[in-house]
Amino acid sequence: MLLVIVSGLALGGLYGMTALVYNVMYSTSKVLSFGTGQFAMVGGICTAWLVLGLHLPLWLGFLACLASGAVFGWLSELIAVRRIIAASDEHLWVLSTLALSTMVQEAMAIWWGTDPTPFPRVFPQEFAGSFDQKFWLPLILAVLMAVGLEQFYRHSMIGKLFIAMSEDSFAARARGVATDRMRSLSYVLAGVLGALSGFAGGQLTFADFALGTALGLSGFIALAVGGIGSSVGALVGGGALGMLTSLTTHYFGAEYQKTIAIGLLILLLVVRPQGLFGTTQVRHV
Amino acid sequence: MINHLEARVVTKRFGGLIAVDNVSLELRPGEVHGLIGPNGSGKTTLLNLISGYYPVDDGSIHVGGEDVTRQSVQDRARLGLARTFQTPKLVLSLSVLDNAMLGGWPDVGSGFLETAFAAPRARREEANIRERASTMLQGVGLGTVMDRRADLLEHTAQRFLEIARALTMRPKFVLLDEPAGGLTEAEIERLGAIIGVIRDSGIGVLLVEHHTDFVFRTCDRVTALNLGRMIAHGSTTAVRYDPEVIRVYLGA
Amino acid sequence: MKHSHLRPVIIGAFALFAALLPYITGNLYYLHVATVIGVYWVLIATLNLLVGFTGQLSVGHVGLLAIGAYAFCLLAGGQGWNPFLALLTGGAICAAIGLVLGLPSLRLPGFYFAMATLAFGLIVSELALAEQWLTNGSVGMPAPSFPTPFDTPWGFYWLVLGIATLITWMTANLARLMWGRAMVALRDSTVAAASVAVPIYMTKLMVFVFSGFTAGISGGLYATSQSYITPDAFIVNLGIYFFVAIIIGGRGVIIGPFIGAAVLAAIPELVGPLAKYGTFFYGFILLVVVLVLPGGFGELITNVASRLRREPQVSTSIEPDLVLLRTAIRVKP
Repeated sequence: MLLVIVSGLALGGLYGMTALVYNVMYSTSKVLSFGTGQFAMVGGICTAWLVLGLHLPLWLGFLACLASGAVFGWLSELIAVRRIIAASDEHLWVLSTLALSTMVQEAMAIWWGTDPTPFPRVFPQEFAGSFDQKFWLPLILAVLMAVGLEQFYRHSMIGKLFIAMSEDSFAARARGVATDRMRSLSYVLAGVLGALSGFAGGQLTFADFALGTALGLSGFIALAVGGIGSSVGALVGGGALGMLTSLTTHYFGAEYQKTIAIGLLILLLVVRPQGLFGTTQVRHV
Repeated sequence: MINHLEARVVTKRFGGLIAVDNVSLELRPGEVHGLIGPNGSGKTTLLNLISGYYPVDDGSIHVGGEDVTRQSVQDRARLGLARTFQTPKLVLSLSVLDNAMLGGWPDVGSGFLETAFAAPRARREEANIRERASTMLQGVGLGTVMDRRADLLEHTAQRFLEIARALTMRPKFVLLDEPAGGLTEAEIERLGAIIGVIRDSGIGVLLVEHHTDFVFRTCDRVTALNLGRMIAHGSTTAVRYDPEVIRVYLGA
Repeated sequence: MKHSHLRPVIIGAFALFAALLPYITGNLYYLHVATVIGVYWVLIATLNLLVGFTGQLSVGHVGLLAIGAYAFCLLAGGQGWNPFLALLTGGAICAAIGLVLGLPSLRLPGFYFAMATLAFGLIVSELALAEQWLTNGSVGMPAPSFPTPFDTPWGFYWLVLGIATLITWMTANLARLMWGRAMVALRDSTVAAASVAVPIYMTKLMVFVFSGFTAGISGGLYATSQSYITPDAFIVNLGIYFFVAIIIGGRGVIIGPFIGAAVLAAIPELVGPLAKYGTFFYGFILLVVVLVLPGGFGELITNVASRLRREPQVSTSIEPDLVLLRTAIRVKP
């Protein structure tokens, strides 16, 4: 039973980190990127390839992983978001991020293959049951990431600029904030964090081309449950979803994972659309 | 006041800010009622409260004797309330005529399936609305550009198109939100003439405007707001020379 | 909503070509591809109303296709129902599911709705594999054929053509009459739509349910066209394909998505349903279209057409006709 709980929390950590990544991109662009889960996928596969395939040292794989996330974050802002935001149509960014996400995923499928492959061990450790690193890495990292982000928003100049942009990007621009560069930076950060989560969660999920869509969906559910813009909410939402998934898999088998997860989402959105910790948005005419 | 439009002691707060503070306003059929006030006085907010885009925090709204305070924008539109917007809200990918024909939607009785099968009633309604809309368009002066896409229209034409759409609704009341914005003097003349015709046919017109000259020329009665509160209301002359209005709005 | 004298001629010519296709090409394989185009079109035509006209980005319609397919196979095959009755029932089932899915999710903003439909598509494919007692899991099930004369490739093609024509006629009616305007208003300016009393939620719901119905019908026809269905025919990528066909073709236009549907059906059929490069290619085209030509190729066509008609760009001054206006407004109940 402990195993069930721990794996639920670990999954929760992974989903929570993805929700945090959504938040980072949303804060500067008001865009919910379809490709959010792909950072983790790319980072994970990159590491697996370099370390297990090319036998390079782990620290190199780690750096490359982060770098790959940074590059894809930067590219996704440049390609799918920057020009779209200038245009008035709200829905276009849904399509552009969907398109880019599909391309990335399929390119990986073609190059890496469609079978999930193992991920290297980060710390030398015999399989330790409930205390195995594959559970604790994502969990601890999720908490660290949330705390780190909150500190970043509160105490660093750039973090405060992100907050300013999320509250009123027009005013931010009027005050001289280079919104394009800030947005690009936030996406790079998001990419790095996403890749990091892929590194942490790799032993749990394996290096799998399909991880991106699944994680994007689960991370979104965690985000919606917790409320957009809230780091605490991201962790809570992730934790809730992770535990729910783990428990249902334990009692009903793995086949109903998605059904239960979506059920949770729909239920919550009907009852409390802004999520547990989100704020209601007032739309003005 | 069965056939009037009324806002009774309405209040609207946004967080700690009181945008509209216990304002009452009464619009009669066949009158042009001006609503003036400096920026931020709550004019557009009041308009949004009356038409239903914002819920009131206190007070009530009545259209033709019916309490519509809890009713949706659509319900109020069906009761004969039409409006234009500060920045024209048009369907830019449709033609001018299509946009005006949208005003005929409240009169559409044909259901989804009826329309899918091109039932006679659907076709008849389409023809009627088309005729009504094109007449209104010609009436406001857009007869020559009916088939043009709405996004190719210049600003003034877009404003007049919104008015044509509102008239196609065969409304009892028309709320105009700063319709003179961006118009030349000549165009404002034409706007005034159109508003006069609307008033003469028995429709009540609420005119929110910045151009105080235009308001005082066109309106029968005026209500003046400042910082969300009503500072004067009554006949145009009375409000025009009201000391508070002069102090707040017109300078000094 | 557009009045062109050339259009009926083009439509007539195309209809003639389509009807005579089996005679024009002797190749049964091409006929099969054309049949699949027709089958997809039955779904895409109404999905176009949902995505193109009303602006609701449903990524997971493939789920409804799957449910329609399995329902048809189970009822007409296993239970021995009349295939036409099974087809209609499949449509009705999917319409009902569309209602259940649409009721909560249509209240959500764009991205949330897209995610919810994506999730639905994933759930259906997950359940198709898992519920072995119903679907035979990964083994799949055979699809029954229709009674004569529709059990030959020619006959089936004409059946699909007939149904597709009916659906196209219905969507064209919806598009050109007042409901079509209401739908586009809903997409481009909910404020304007509300101000003329368009019931926003109800309209979206009705379009969603209608598109569910035809997706179900499409599913049954799809099953017969493939003769055998398995869960991996209904992967989520196919849902994205449909979606892409509409965006590429052009939202709010009918001819554009048709071209998108034709391309969509032809490529995988020629290369294999799970063609590795196909999805990547689609993602790429979608990205390019969104960045360069958001209105899709349909808008490109209409732009060129209006350019050819040489519409004057000169701005005309506005001269109100007050006399006309006076009489017009007087006509009130």
